[in-house]
Amino acid sequence: MFKWALAVTLLLSVAGRAQGDEAAEIVRDADRARRPGESFVWKITITSFEANKSPAVDGFEVFVKGVGRSFVKFVAPPRNVGRSLLALGRDLWIYLPDAGKPVRIPFSQRLVGQVANGDIARTDYAGDYDATLVGDETFGGVACRVLDLKARTKDVTYAAIKYWVSKDGRRPVKAEYYAGTGTLLKTGVFENVKEIAGHHLVTRLTLVDAIRKDKKSVLDYREITVRDLPDKYFDKNYMKTLD
Amino acid sequence: MRSTVAAAVALCLVTAAYAEETAPEGPPDWLKALRLKGRIAEEFAYRLHDPGDVSKLRTTGWLESKYSFSESANLRLAARARYDAGFDATDRYPANVERDQKTELELREALLSISRGDLDVRLGRQQIVWGEAVSTFVTDVVNPRDFREFILPDFSELRIPIWALDLTYRLAPGVNLEGVWTPDARINKLPKHGAEFEFAPIPFRFRNPMVRLPDNPDEFSLSRSEGGVRLSALVRGWDASLLYYDEADKNPVLRQRRVSQAFGPDVIVLEPEHPRLHIVGVTLAKSVEPVVFRSEVAVTVGKQYSTTDPLSRDGIVRRDTIDYLVSADYTFFSAVDATLQVSQKVLTGSAAHLTYGAVEARVTTSVALRLTTGFFDNTLNPTVLFVVNANRADFRLSPRIDYLVAGAVTISVGADIFEGARHTLYGQFDRSDRVWLTTTWRF
Repeated sequence: MFKWALAVTLLLSVAGRAQGDEAAEIVRDADRARRPGESFVWKITITSFEANKSPAVDGFEVFVKGVGRSFVKFVAPPRNVGRSLLALGRDLWIYLPDAGKPVRIPFSQRLVGQVANGDIARTDYAGDYDATLVGDETFGGVACRVLDLKARTKDVTYAAIKYWVSKDGRRPVKAEYYAGTGTLLKTGVFENVKEIAGHHLVTRLTLVDAIRKDKKSVLDYREITVRDLPDKYFDKNYMKTLD
Repeated sequence: MRSTVAAAVALCLVTAAYAEETAPEGPPDWLKALRLKGRIAEEFAYRLHDPGDVSKLRTTGWLESKYSFSESANLRLAARARYDAGFDATDRYPANVERDQKTELELREALLSISRGDLDVRLGRQQIVWGEAVSTFVTDVVNPRDFREFILPDFSELRIPIWALDLTYRLAPGVNLEGVWTPDARINKLPKHGAEFEFAPIPFRFRNPMVRLPDNPDEFSLSRSEGGVRLSALVRGWDASLLYYDEADKNPVLRQRRVSQAFGPDVIVLEPEHPRLHIVGVTLAKSVEPVVFRSEVAVTVGKQYSTTDPLSRDGIVRRDTIDYLVSADYTFFSAVDATLQVSQKVLTGSAAHLTYGAVEARVTTSVALRLTTGFFDNTLNPTVLFVVNANRADFRLSPRIDYLVAGAVTISVGADIFEGARHTLYGQFDRSDRVWLTTTWRF
């Protein structure tokens, strides 16, 4: 009897680990659909909408190298030109021309509209979160695997993410972002899949506030160039030179 | 088959050629490499204390350009022009203040940056900003400052740019060694007698007539050149730096000489001096999400103060000084950004007869709290800054609201309130409380 119980426990643990591995693999594949290569440059336009207000448009040029290294230049509107963000792993700096030097800031701080710094400076869900498969659902006519992502540390933008990834092609489809209290903060929908540099990439993310549904931000990714970027671009002492 | 392929190739070539001919001409390369931006600000300030009056009606224009020769070489030029119509609107201020502050045209940046491998070279007129904390000068020691409006303007406006050579070498990923050298030894700009933010005069020991000699050392001097090094490293999320800087004190200390007169009482001659300072500093910063901690320490060796001690031979005493601060940033309710900063100035010796301005005791403690939030998608941003010196409870309260009217236009309204005893840092401006309105257009 004991032998049987042991065998069943072992089988269950192996099956659990296999499922965990599959979940991690799905998140890794979905991350690839959110980044065109190991080293690249893209421009992001964020259009923020709110009821009874004209949309606000912010532009960024984002330089990414490897996992966790990104440099973000603010290119619009004019009041923001000259600012930049540097993310190295879980460390984040902002360069403000008025301060004249890079200043440490938290990842969770809001950037514009519904967008947090981490939304454009980090694309590495596989590195930041532990994933668990929780089921299958169809969203917008797309058959998806549904995953629960739990933050590995407190140093990330969201404590948890519920993540819908398409079964076909393993591309991100939808995400719900949660605070540590379990409160839903916002919902993201990934759209506009395009083939760029041999990758299928989602080139639009729409973030909607969980409480004020009229408040949303649309992130459009364009002018994507895959190229090897120098390491010094990701040094805080170089931020002023690059602004 | 061959003819089909040939036709297809020909069609492609023709199409390509046509595309080339008809492609709309973009801007030339030199224009793509040039970035121009600027802003115009209209600043109005009204003095609240009797006599209430316009204290500023200033138009300021900034023009900045950056020309990129390549990804690793660029040239920046920036200029600032000012005209303060307040001096025409009121006769409150004497002519020397009007001459000093009414109009100004200044080259703010002329900087050639070249990067080759792990070496970055920045040569020209520039601001070199050291330190981790915002809105404080503990280790931000390289540039002199313009105190004609106390410390109320942005720090990038407070710093006076200097001609300097700044070299940075990357020793390893995240580890940099920076060296700075400048023959540009200009000093802080202080407000003239009668200006709105004139510093309270140092209480002197004698009732004799006094003559203050002018304070105008040569701006450029190889023998008085200044320089220093900074080693900075990012290790496991800790930003740390160690720095040394050798400079002349940017603020004058007044050496006092008694000169006998054939008739009448002796005259006290006040001779401004800028003693050599050796500054050793350490900075640290760390983000422990969601809190960011910062700390800075600077030990200034050779610092001298004017004393009111009647037994002092020349009115000057040396007190090496330690300045340090600890600060924490935290966002409350995902909406209110808060910064709490505690700083101390510690004199290595008695502070008797030295307690004026920024020195209130042997240990002068200051606490600052800044709260900022945003409404309507951060288009309306209220901020309040409260700074109090704990020793004598003099304080500064500066609330402001910035409203982003459009992508390029900002309207800011605010107040600067000072309270405290006459010879304290903030109390000396007790009668300069003001409300202000600034409109800025950026392009």
